[in-house]
Amino acid sequence: MSERSSSISIERPEDLWRSSTRRSFLRLLGVGGTIALAPGIFAACSGDDNPTQPNTAQARLDLGTDIGIFNYAYALEQLEAAFYSAVVGAGNFATLFTDANERELLTDIRNHEVAHRELFRQALGSSAIPDLALDSTTVAALIADRATILKNAQTFEDLGVAAYNGAGKQLKDARNLLVAGKIVSVEARHAAAIRDARDTTGRAFAGDDVVDANGLDVKMEPDAVLARVTALNLVRTSIAVTKQPGDAASADRPAPVAS
Amino acid sequence: METMHNLPMLDAIDPAITQRLVTRRDAIAKGAAVGSTIAMGLAMASVPVALGALSREAFGQGTALPADIKSVLDFALALEIFENEFYSAVLGTSSSAAQNTAFAPVRASVSGAALATVQQIQKHEAAHVAFLKSVGATSTLTASDFDFTGGRGSGTGPFAAATTDLAFLLTVAQGAEDTGVRAYKGQAGNLIGNNDATHNTVLEAALRIHSVEARHAARIRRIRRLAAGAPAVVRLSGTIRGGGAGAAGATGSPSADVVAAFDRIYGGATPESNTTHVVYNGSAEASINAASLSNLQGGTDAATEAFDEPLTRAEVVAIVQPFFIPPIA
Repeated sequence: MSERSSSISIERPEDLWRSSTRRSFLRLLGVGGTIALAPGIFAACSGDDNPTQPNTAQARLDLGTDIGIFNYAYALEQLEAAFYSAVVGAGNFATLFTDANERELLTDIRNHEVAHRELFRQALGSSAIPDLALDSTTVAALIADRATILKNAQTFEDLGVAAYNGAGKQLKDARNLLVAGKIVSVEARHAAAIRDARDTTGRAFAGDDVVDANGLDVKMEPDAVLARVTALNLVRTSIAVTKQPGDAASADRPAPVAS
Repeated sequence: METMHNLPMLDAIDPAITQRLVTRRDAIAKGAAVGSTIAMGLAMASVPVALGALSREAFGQGTALPADIKSVLDFALALEIFENEFYSAVLGTSSSAAQNTAFAPVRASVSGAALATVQQIQKHEAAHVAFLKSVGATSTLTASDFDFTGGRGSGTGPFAAATTDLAFLLTVAQGAEDTGVRAYKGQAGNLIGNNDATHNTVLEAALRIHSVEARHAARIRRIRRLAAGAPAVVRLSGTIRGGGAGAAGATGSPSADVVAAFDRIYGGATPESNTTHVVYNGSAEASINAASLSNLQGGTDAATEAFDEPLTRAEVVAIVQPFFIPPIA
């Protein structure tokens, strides 16, 4: 199949009503080609199809594009920000964490995850997936007590590191890769700090359960990460991958689930 | 060509596309250009095997990696050898007796969990050296090619106190780790290539080293803050607040030369205090100021901490050259 026949570009809403465009469009529906929609198209849509107010029933991720990868990261940052916001915002935060050092740690991380979430929200604009609806019962269980919170924080942070380390190679634009790189090292700092807060050996911050014999950190492809998210029973919004990313560079080294 | 997909439109396309999607593993299995050795390497989760095979199969036996990749990996290897030799000298396990002797005074005060941390970090740096060599990076550097006082061979440079003062030694280690994080970040964009298998494999490995260096830097910050009296700018979350020399959180009265060095480590063309981030949506570039994001918690401090910043290769060279006796580039 030639490149010409496998993609069309739709610059204006009116293009959809031109018979030649419509024929190409319908043909591409049948063969799974690429349909490019200029950004201006979004503003012309209305009603239920308006992507500036997306359907809250589903978050769709086209992982073949930088926007899709950013939406994937945005979904993860939403979860992390919600988790830490629930921790720090809980009425008993100071009771659960009597050590000011631990309160600083968790408050800092809350602040950073909120900044990450908001950066992606602004970067994605009208292409952003909806706010994810969370299961309040699961959230309550995740933040039940100090030990549970720190354990779940470790799991989240290691998973975040693995997700970014697996997704970076899918980004096609160096500017977007740099932004992801600015964030992943902060997630790694968080992971090390949380691990260290639960540790007395001095080795857990980058333990052998995350860093392998080559000195390489955890790494997971999106399908494995999303399966872990699903298993949490935390997200009520369904997350659908409409297009998988390119080849994996190597087999996953999964982020461990903290115990 | 970059494409943007209108999500509601995909409602209509979804069934057609999903019928035709091939899985990643299918794609690998079907990839005519991917030879059996690479597939085996991938299946065995062995990055060195896959990488080595890639370089051999794609570029011929005995042929070097593509020049752009080779250059980045050689640069990374020099930095990793520097880090590995530094921690080996601290631990007294360097192949150079002179380096071991130099750090003997401070060695006794590196104990308990802090000692375990230095051992763990050194293990990773040694692994990075071996890994980078295994995928084709080369270097002639040895233990005696370094002057950890930052004197370029004089042995009396501005960082000489690291051999006697634990608090200062840890501050220097923090600076070395953060330089590593910033160096890898600055090189990532040079590893995109055409998102081909060789570049993707190398990029992924570089990202996985990058996050390990960040873990190291975070743990050292916590040691300094919890046990060595570092100020609150040294965050317990392991992150970098602000930029320039102040972001190091150095204690005591560091010399002007040391302050200038930390200013290079946490400053630069895109300093750690930067809050402006550039994204590209496939058709347009946008600059976003993280300090003015809606719903921001923790103000500008949080905005600087939440995003680590890159260094250019030239900036990294300017930082580390005083510690290397031979010239580097």
